[in-house]
Amino acid sequence: MTGTSLKTYALTRLALVVPMVLILLTFVFLLMRVAPGNPIAAALGGHVPPSVIQRISHRLGYDKPIYTQYGDYLWGVLHGNLGRTITDRRAVSSIIVENGGATLELTVAASFVAMVVGLVVGLLAGRFRDTWIDVSGRLFGIVAYAMPVFFLGFLAQLLFGIWLGWLPTSNQASPITQAFLPVHSHILFIDAIWAHNWGALWDVVKHLILPATTLGIVIGGVFIRLVRINVIRSLKDDYVEAARARGIRERSVVYRYAFRNALVPVVTVVGLQLALLLGGAILTEETFNWPGIGSTLVSYLAERDYAGVQGIVVVFALVVVVASLLIDFVNAFIDPRIRY
Amino acid sequence: MRKGRVRWLFAGSVAAIAVAVALSASAYGSSKAGKILVDGTTETVTNIDPAGNYDYGTATVDYLIFNRLLAAGPGKNLTPHPELATKCSSVGNLKTWACTLRKGVKFSNGDSFTSTDVKFSFDRTIAINDPSGISSLITNLASTTTSGPYKVVFHLKHPQSTWLQVLTTTAGSMIVDHKVYPANKLQSSTSPQVGTGPYILKSYNPGQQAVFTVNPHYWGPKPKNAGVIINYYKDSSTMKLALTKGEIDMAYDQFSPTDLTSLKKSSSVKVYIGAGAGIRYLVMDVGKQATKLGVPTGKLAVRQAIAYLMPRQTIASRVYHGQVSPLYSMVAKGLPGHIDAFKTLYGAKPSVAKARAVLKKAHVKTPLKFTIWYTPTHYGAASADEYAEIQRALNASKLFNVTLKSAEWAGYVNTLGTTKGVFQLGWFPDYVDGEDYINPFYPKGQFLSNGYNSAKMNKLALKEEGAKSTKARLKIIKQEQMLAAKNVPLIPYWQNHMVAVARKNVGGVTSTLDPTYIMRFWLLSK
Repeated sequence: MTGTSLKTYALTRLALVVPMVLILLTFVFLLMRVAPGNPIAAALGGHVPPSVIQRISHRLGYDKPIYTQYGDYLWGVLHGNLGRTITDRRAVSSIIVENGGATLELTVAASFVAMVVGLVVGLLAGRFRDTWIDVSGRLFGIVAYAMPVFFLGFLAQLLFGIWLGWLPTSNQASPITQAFLPVHSHILFIDAIWAHNWGALWDVVKHLILPATTLGIVIGGVFIRLVRINVIRSLKDDYVEAARARGIRERSVVYRYAFRNALVPVVTVVGLQLALLLGGAILTEETFNWPGIGSTLVSYLAERDYAGVQGIVVVFALVVVVASLLIDFVNAFIDPRIRY
Repeated sequence: MRKGRVRWLFAGSVAAIAVAVALSASAYGSSKAGKILVDGTTETVTNIDPAGNYDYGTATVDYLIFNRLLAAGPGKNLTPHPELATKCSSVGNLKTWACTLRKGVKFSNGDSFTSTDVKFSFDRTIAINDPSGISSLITNLASTTTSGPYKVVFHLKHPQSTWLQVLTTTAGSMIVDHKVYPANKLQSSTSPQVGTGPYILKSYNPGQQAVFTVNPHYWGPKPKNAGVIINYYKDSSTMKLALTKGEIDMAYDQFSPTDLTSLKKSSSVKVYIGAGAGIRYLVMDVGKQATKLGVPTGKLAVRQAIAYLMPRQTIASRVYHGQVSPLYSMVAKGLPGHIDAFKTLYGAKPSVAKARAVLKKAHVKTPLKFTIWYTPTHYGAASADEYAEIQRALNASKLFNVTLKSAEWAGYVNTLGTTKGVFQLGWFPDYVDGEDYINPFYPKGQFLSNGYNSAKMNKLALKEEGAKSTKARLKIIKQEQMLAAKNVPLIPYWQNHMVAVARKNVGGVTSTLDPTYIMRFWLLSK
């Protein structure tokens, strides 16, 4: 009975992915067409007569009826062809691979920082409830979450990059490292290990510290409150009372029993925060000149590059949708009450 | 227990020291890496294939890999002079131009350079006609023929006295190897690029970095460095941080006025300022176009009044901290044929009295209400301050009541004169000649769509294109400038400088700062 229900649930959720992505795709397509300007005008305007721009726009089909353009685009997407960008002729798939690696590196490192910050501060705040540790932890969580990530990034650059001079302020690695490190995975951290170049690895890590910590602290602000609440709740549970009654040390009660159980809902939220992570990554990439997919999206937006924007947004949407789907499946597997 | 703990601590310390020693090793410690020049820029790259770009950022990359037939600069030598062609001249009527090519030149892959490559390069630029490309600059080219391996003949549709200046641009004259490049489509930017220039493009990571190594087959003097890396930045403040920290050796395009003022005070870098050729100007709709949009600039007296009030000195000093110079003609100062036409007609400094007098004479009621448009980021973040100063000057005269509106570039440039009656634009020349500051703006078919169409100007433009001597051409250019100032559909107000900022160990920067705005990295040493 349970197996059949889970299967139905899984199929239903999978089937819902298609309309979700289609709606988003359509929304982005229309938004780009409605916004003033087009990629040809953006590239050549102010330099060639309007007749030249019109001629080129006609050649590329931008004066076709919007439903025709939409149909052409959908047809391409359905055949796995996300197209080429208009401004620099890059295949959207290659953007995902090349720049996606940089974003993956940043978001994984930021997630790690977020988890460490969130778990440690949240645990301490929950454990020492209503003390100065709790107040400081909660305040830190609120400020971290409320602070714009780019502002925190600027402060970090100023403090650690300029005043203290400890860390680099931008890019994924130093120019020389980036120029000469052989590319295999488009993730410099992995490529440095692959090449057994420990100097390059340290260079990459140094460059990763500020942007990952900046983004991680902002995301960690969410986890702090969640962990704190769950630790407090767990500490009130009967099994904790029972453990205390059996004479188990308070330290073990908190860290071995209450904390582990408090983590279960946190794991769920981690996946749901993916959208927040990707959105924050865009701003972080802009601040630190990080060559990820987010900053690439911003560039194509400014240039009204329809293919670039649509392609990248579709991939973002798919990543978030698939991650949400996996989290839902895990939850449905764990908790049979979650069904349609 | 205690002993065990001590053992763990000791082992951990040894491991930490070992890791620290390993990681502290330089990633690439060769002395050659130390001689590679690292440049930062906020420009972007579109298509590295010369047939597919018409933007400054990509041209900068192309200048390192490819050569033109003729060159302009460095320094004051702006007249077209030999590069891949040793001699180019008109055969009689300015419609046919013959070039003799340099012998013994090889491409970076060892292939020999011949006239076939030249014909191929021009033909493919026209055939591909890329939307982002520069084929619009060679629309006058009817055909290209060869006469032996070292002679090329260009057949134009109409006489063009500035054809040699066109050959100094990236317009289809960046010569590519006909054995490598496809004839009817662009070579991808990440595919091998083969040219005769001083460098080879080792790798290109879009939006991140372009890496160049020295071309061993280069026909000219060996570059003064072991290679170049161009790092791309999204904004100038991040680039400035990287420069002051020593992460890059130099940067030249583009810093904000505030960043430059701050960098001038820095002890770790030096700011170099050279001649520039970029200009800013105010466009005003005229005639029926202005009436349609409801702006008062349809009347000559109104445009003249605005010209009398233009606060050039305030913009140059207050907004740009002296990093631009007031400009009194659409033709950049320093170019042959330049005259300060606006200074002659409207004075060097703003004059409210003269503005009032010209409006009174034309029986124009004041204050006149209209909107001025500008774009906030495309020409730099200082545009907002720039136009605030213009608004302040006009409103303070009590003759005008100006409001400002702005739009981002992609939407701003789409309709220009047909929806914006008075608006900001900038110009960077395709080739450094007075003609390129007149023809795009005044004769019939100009891109501004502001309604300006003067029979006299059209006649002068045709005469200039067919002028048989430089002296005659420059005389016409001067006449065009005076007429432009009299009719005043546009008001130029500043001219930039080519500015580069470099760390103290970089040499040769001043040798490449000139109105061509080409950063000749091969002249720089470290």
